[in-house]
Amino acid sequence: MSTMTINLKIWRQKNTEAKGEFQVYKLNDVNEHMSFLEMLDVLNENLIKEGKDPVEFDYDCREGICGSCNLVVNGRAHGPKRLTAVCQLHMRTYSDGDTIVIEPPRAAAFPVIKDLVVDRSAFDRIIEAGGYVSVKTGAAPEANLIPVQEEVANQAFDYATCIGCGACVAACPNSSASLFTASKLAHLNRLPQGKPEREKRTVAMVQQMEAEGFGDCSNYAECEAVCPVGISISSIAEMRKNYLKAIF
Amino acid sequence: MPTLLQAATSQVGRKILTGLTGVFLVLFIIFHLGGNLAIFGEPDAMNRYSMILHDFGPLLWVARIGLLAVFLIHAWIGISIWLKKRKARPENYAVYSSKGGPSKQSLSSRTMAFTGIVLLIFVIFHINTFALGDMETVLIDGRETHDVKALVIDTFSNSAFYAFGYAFTMLLLGAHLGHGVWSAFISLGMSGKKSSAIMYTVGTVIAIVLAVGFLFIPLYIYFGGGCEAALIQCT
Amino acid sequence: MKLDPKVPSGPLETKWSNYLRDVKLVSPNNKRKHKIIVVGTGLAGASAAASLAELGYNVQTFCITDSARRAHSIAAQGGINAAKNYQNDGDSVWRLFYDTIKGGDYRSRESNVYRLAENSNQIIDQAVAQGVPFGRDYGGLLDNRSFGGAQVSRTFYSRGQTGQQLLLGAYQAMMRMVHAGKIESYVRHEMLDLVVIDGKARGIITRDLVDGSINKWEADAVILCTGGYGNVFYLSTNAKNSNVTAAWRCHKRGAAFANPCFVQIHPTCIPVSGDYQSKLTLMSESLRNDGRVWVPRDPEDSRPPNEIPEEDRYYYLEERYPSFGNLVPRDVASRNAKLVTDDGMGVGDSGLAVYLDFRDAIKRDGKDAIKAKYGNLFDMYENITDDNPYEVPMRIFPAVHYTMGGLWVDYNLMSNIPGLFVAGEANFSDHGANRLGASALMQGLSDGYFIIPYTVGDYIAGEELPKVSKDHEAFDEAAKDSQEQLDKLLNVKGDKTVIEFHRELGKIMWDKVGISRSKEGLEQAIEEIRSLREEFWQNVRVPGDANYYNKYLEFAARVADYFELAELMALDALDRDESCGCHLRDEFQTEEGEAIRNDEKYAYVSAWEFLDVNGKLETKLHKEDLNFEFVELKQRSYK
Repeated sequence: MSTMTINLKIWRQKNTEAKGEFQVYKLNDVNEHMSFLEMLDVLNENLIKEGKDPVEFDYDCREGICGSCNLVVNGRAHGPKRLTAVCQLHMRTYSDGDTIVIEPPRAAAFPVIKDLVVDRSAFDRIIEAGGYVSVKTGAAPEANLIPVQEEVANQAFDYATCIGCGACVAACPNSSASLFTASKLAHLNRLPQGKPEREKRTVAMVQQMEAEGFGDCSNYAECEAVCPVGISISSIAEMRKNYLKAIF
Repeated sequence: MPTLLQAATSQVGRKILTGLTGVFLVLFIIFHLGGNLAIFGEPDAMNRYSMILHDFGPLLWVARIGLLAVFLIHAWIGISIWLKKRKARPENYAVYSSKGGPSKQSLSSRTMAFTGIVLLIFVIFHINTFALGDMETVLIDGRETHDVKALVIDTFSNSAFYAFGYAFTMLLLGAHLGHGVWSAFISLGMSGKKSSAIMYTVGTVIAIVLAVGFLFIPLYIYFGGGCEAALIQCT
Repeated sequence: MKLDPKVPSGPLETKWSNYLRDVKLVSPNNKRKHKIIVVGTGLAGASAAASLAELGYNVQTFCITDSARRAHSIAAQGGINAAKNYQNDGDSVWRLFYDTIKGGDYRSRESNVYRLAENSNQIIDQAVAQGVPFGRDYGGLLDNRSFGGAQVSRTFYSRGQTGQQLLLGAYQAMMRMVHAGKIESYVRHEMLDLVVIDGKARGIITRDLVDGSINKWEADAVILCTGGYGNVFYLSTNAKNSNVTAAWRCHKRGAAFANPCFVQIHPTCIPVSGDYQSKLTLMSESLRNDGRVWVPRDPEDSRPPNEIPEEDRYYYLEERYPSFGNLVPRDVASRNAKLVTDDGMGVGDSGLAVYLDFRDAIKRDGKDAIKAKYGNLFDMYENITDDNPYEVPMRIFPAVHYTMGGLWVDYNLMSNIPGLFVAGEANFSDHGANRLGASALMQGLSDGYFIIPYTVGDYIAGEELPKVSKDHEAFDEAAKDSQEQLDKLLNVKGDKTVIEFHRELGKIMWDKVGISRSKEGLEQAIEEIRSLREEFWQNVRVPGDANYYNKYLEFAARVADYFELAELMALDALDRDESCGCHLRDEFQTEEGEAIRNDEKYAYVSAWEFLDVNGKLETKLHKEDLNFEFVELKQRSYK
């Protein structure tokens, strides 16, 4: 088992209003089998013992599904590995003496709460605007009444698998939330259960996305590259198609 | 449901309009290149082409104004997207890099605003030089018409600034279209993964063909010595 | 304390329909006059909140994460059971009920489990209508897979992310009601206390985890859907923020805590690799369909696994349980892994792992076939461990996964404090001493969509609920308590971090209140927990202050509660002089290591009352006898 020394340059910001700055830390004895977040845990243990403020960052499940973690590592959302949330990144990716720059996702619509923790409630409001099928509890028909082509169900799943981490926004040069919004639309709009509300839903979610202050999409597809579950920008194209259908 | 105006100015609406105007402009550019290549045809081919266009009379003006409008909408939306991205990310990353893979970040896509603005300025120059410039007249089929061909040859054979300036700008046009053509189709709702991959290649080919087609003419005229050049027949 | 399970009379099959026939209703005009608090927004919380809001109640939801969508229900992989019998393989409500109650080793209430099985089909209907993309067959109809503990194929799934898809369905239903103005959703808020006025739950105290403020919220009913307490072990498959605090504070206000020692330990997890380890990752137990579990016969054998010949390998599950082999239930597989590692036969750097070997399956079916079945799991394993399971055997070890115990509830899912309802993993109700795979999602949604909306209405219609004000002294007192506890934690200013304490507590729990327990070990554990708790309050170091975002302060308050819960778990395990389900007492097993259940003396729910805590935990045990009128109690055997 090999250990290494890692140099960290981490964004520290006291609160939303405060001006942030980078702080540099040196961490010895980093084990290659540690996860990236465990490495930060160790840093925090050291900081607490030294009487300093630990680095705040969001995390919960640490198995890549809850979407809480969202660090930008050396300029890439979730770090260097594709299809991997940063909680699933391991230190063996790095070498002794490496310097790692850690920043929060940066977007006006994701204000910093503290250090690397940001407020992503804008995503909740986009879903609130129409990211659902309007069915009351108890009003559902028998589940096998409406067959859904296997291929359509699989595609719906591929889009429904979005974990809502916001890496798409973080990585987009324009800070666009198009992939997040479009993935939910692509999930629901293609299913027979979601069709009746398709147009209303598309327009409402697009409106909310803009109202939250996210930027425009320029089809850079960087969002797809950083998405830990690999959601395709095809969803964004579909969103536009459905938007056109809604208008005309 | 939003009104048409609201829809057109929404984030998705703007993108659709960018794609739509972009496709229109690409079609125009292809048409334009066709006209330019007439310089290599019969001695009076280029001027005949110009004359036919002028024969449309008021319709030509409608087309010109329409084209200008399309161009301005395309430019305006592009610039507004570029301005808005600063607002959407007030604090920039200290370090930023692409993750590769399916990312379409490239010199071409990251410089859309720059190449677009240069093309906007270029078009103003271009209209001033070739549409509003002083032109001799020439007789075709007994009718008097502008001698566009002479103006083109004159401009490019006598000025390195014009010849290279044009050629360089056409490289930027190629860069703009390298991302732009594919992007327009995605903006217009082309969602198939296979068609997207095909379209990306097609877009790159269109970009290269148009850029090379356009930049070849000024450079050829400059280095070939105008009417002395082998492929150009002056009367 | 009086524990009345309020089970409706009559035959099992008609209890719930009779209940629904007689349930008291609240008129639409009156519903909008009532406010209901839902704490936690996982499957149970989000589905309850959405359903109540649809009915017209004013609902407030609270969760500790930054969005309701992130609750740990999201991590459930395998699937959700329902008695649809789409496979025509003989499934029925009765069979699902029977498998669940048998799987729980006859330590749950018949009536509740039967209702769960009855509701299962409606859950699938509801989820499909919401757009949950379940796996389908070529004809476009819903597909099923098999799961442990059942002879029928009744598990519905969305690849390996069924929990995520069901949670997003419930979350979206909830957000629809936020849009409609019927739900106010508060994220990054942690419940710190329950407010009881005139003996009824009338509100909660929360801490805003961003600005640190302590807030009071009044309501006509409080529904607790805050999940399980597996993190008392420090390392578990739970999310890092999953905690017992909300439930524990209710317990301290008078709610009975039932069966705290029933903890499910999942046999196939990725082993611990070092002290820095922060959580454990589950590998689907479907791997045991093709993988063979073994350890080297000789504890001194340090050869790489592929160089150990067949005769030196101890396939202990196959040898000990010839008929079930590697497919014994979770508790049996976990216990045996512990037995062989206790005997020094464990593998890996720590010696706390066993091999799960696919060599023979790959030889038999080919690498491609194995890849098609388990490709994503193999990739996940390789990503975490850097070992290629196609080449070398996986190393696995059991890990704490789910807690069957929880706050005691009656048939209405109401605790012994009127107005305090408890749903999902937070209650004790449906899984007895052991939970079968694919039934946690089923229970959370059954509680939230199809039970709570009726039983809460029945409560509200039948009670005098005069308006209460946040200025009531009970609110002030609870808010003051919460603030004081945080200040106290910050003021210790000791030398050891919260994580260090938590890790030590976890080790005591894992060693002595884990897979197998003994009287001696439990008594030691209680002593050790007490002295560590004392040290905690004298020597913990919590950074920062209480006035803004402070994750380690949150942790400190939660760990303080774990210290108290841990002792109760040990007490409960000590009380139960039998082995049942996941609870194995060394003293109560056959010579071959099989559990000996004692139905004569222990067919009861242990419901603990909290009396006082002043360094010493004072508790009182109440027993709810389990009467089995409809099923015959049988000894489980997997030989």
